[in-house]
Amino acid sequence: MAQKKETTEASVSSQAAGVKGKGSANALAAKLKTRRLRTAVGAVVFVGMAAGLVAGVSMGTMSGFGWDTFSMLCPLGALGTMIATKTVIPRAVVSLVLIAALVLVFGRAFCSWLCPTMLIDRVRDFFRSPKKRRELAEKKNSEIKAISQQELTSLKAAKDGHACGACGKCQPVHHGKVDSRHAVLGGALLSTAVFGFPVFCLVCPVGLTFATVLVIWRAFAHGDATIGLILIPAMLVIELVVLRKWCSNFCPLSALMNLVGRFSRTFVPTINDEKCLETARATSCSKCAEVCDADINIRHPEFGLRTMADCTRCRNCVDVCPTHAITMPVFVGKKAGKTVVEIPDPVMDDLEPKLD
Amino acid sequence: MAQEEKKDEAEVKPAPRGGITRRGLFIGVGSTAALLGLGALRYAGHNPLNRPPGGTDEAHLVSGCIRCERCYEACPREAIVPAKIEDGLLGMRSPMLDFNTGNYCDFCYEENGGNPLCVAVCPTAALELPAAFTVGNPETGETGDIIIGTAEIDPRTCLAYRMTGCRDCYDACNYSAIELKDEGGANPIPYVVEDKCNGCGACQAACLSLSSGSIKSTERAIVVRPIEA
Repeated sequence: MAQKKETTEASVSSQAAGVKGKGSANALAAKLKTRRLRTAVGAVVFVGMAAGLVAGVSMGTMSGFGWDTFSMLCPLGALGTMIATKTVIPRAVVSLVLIAALVLVFGRAFCSWLCPTMLIDRVRDFFRSPKKRRELAEKKNSEIKAISQQELTSLKAAKDGHACGACGKCQPVHHGKVDSRHAVLGGALLSTAVFGFPVFCLVCPVGLTFATVLVIWRAFAHGDATIGLILIPAMLVIELVVLRKWCSNFCPLSALMNLVGRFSRTFVPTINDEKCLETARATSCSKCAEVCDADINIRHPEFGLRTMADCTRCRNCVDVCPTHAITMPVFVGKKAGKTVVEIPDPVMDDLEPKLD
Repeated sequence: MAQEEKKDEAEVKPAPRGGITRRGLFIGVGSTAALLGLGALRYAGHNPLNRPPGGTDEAHLVSGCIRCERCYEACPREAIVPAKIEDGLLGMRSPMLDFNTGNYCDFCYEENGGNPLCVAVCPTAALELPAAFTVGNPETGETGDIIIGTAEIDPRTCLAYRMTGCRDCYDACNYSAIELKDEGGANPIPYVVEDKCNGCGACQAACLSLSSGSIKSTERAIVVRPIEA
């Protein structure tokens, strides 16, 4: 009985939140213009490649994009095949150099603009109930708001003479130089070296996505029934749905790009402190951290689960910033993010964290 | 800059600052174990498959192939298909030749002057041919030195053994690898000359035994068997 009462209460409150939540979710979606563009770019590239695969147009898939004898191999595949065969394969080396150069310029942009798992994620989002979507958004929102508030309090302390306040350095850091993905990458390469074949390629979600297209098409066009028709999509579901947060916790490709991406100084989102609500007006905002798909907190890097090395250049933060303080300049001189915040004096008078 | 950071880190308590979290460690160890387990599939092996030209060294193919699917696209005759899981998890999605669809391999003699396109596009050299090679030549009837497999006739299902006079495989073969017993007689029966067969699959592609209706079998009466490595 008591339980029932609780659920009714919960549903009432969620309904109340629903009205507000739905409105703000739509507003957010409208703001993230690049997100729609990214989905479109990813979809067009994927459909093009899938059609090419089915029609036999020789241009490859994302595991080995190219035509004739030119190909740009997946960097993990290139490494794997060279370790497994213990030979230097010229095309693999060329691909590795090319990809490293691209990651150096565009960071992990592949992940948010081209990777088919991004599309699968969108499809998942689409089928998620509005309630679940709201819950997820609210959870992230409240976590980040708390961080932002904490930061402002320490800012105040800084003004009062406590030296380390604004830099946030006395806060526990949530991220290290390596994380679980790097362990998966190491495991994949170790297994490849021990057993002599590119092990990860068997389960790579990018490869499996194209394999799904092929296996479905073959079933219809040639009546080619196989267990793979069920197993291949099932493997995808296990990786992307059951193992939560594949991209930032498991994906060894993301780990590989992270290793190079940390040296990138181009197109890195940069905050203009004169415009940023937190620095210019001492208002807690943290919208940029909230929308970041890569779990980076640009305003307070120490609090992010990941560092700028993982920036996928998705432009969510640029789009969402209420004061347009974030830009992605072609070249960022020094490493972005470690600014010591100085607060203009007039604002200090009413330095109370403001939450909407 | 990096040094400065380090110094600061040293000063502050070594709380959970940086490093890998417990959850991260769990994921890392678990995934490594899973990937090592997956690697052990190597010993499970798989059913022998007809590989495209340059892929007959099975160990090399398995080591090199990253399942990028470029050879399927490149094959002008759509004879290369992904291997199925039923043939073994290790070989899943690796390239194999399927002659049951009516397609066979001519080593790109017609399409690319005898330079197999699948080998040309393979970015990881999993399909690899020696520096000098000759392919089967349908004009002169030479067998060439790229051997995919050898054709084998099953007398229990072959229509010719049922006195139907079928000789479709004999007609399909470009390399005189199929000859007829009692040629010109009432019931010519085909047999394979193994030395001349390069496993191109034209005979299997042409075989009618399964489509004739009354014969129950899982495979055609003439099939190409991969050569033993």
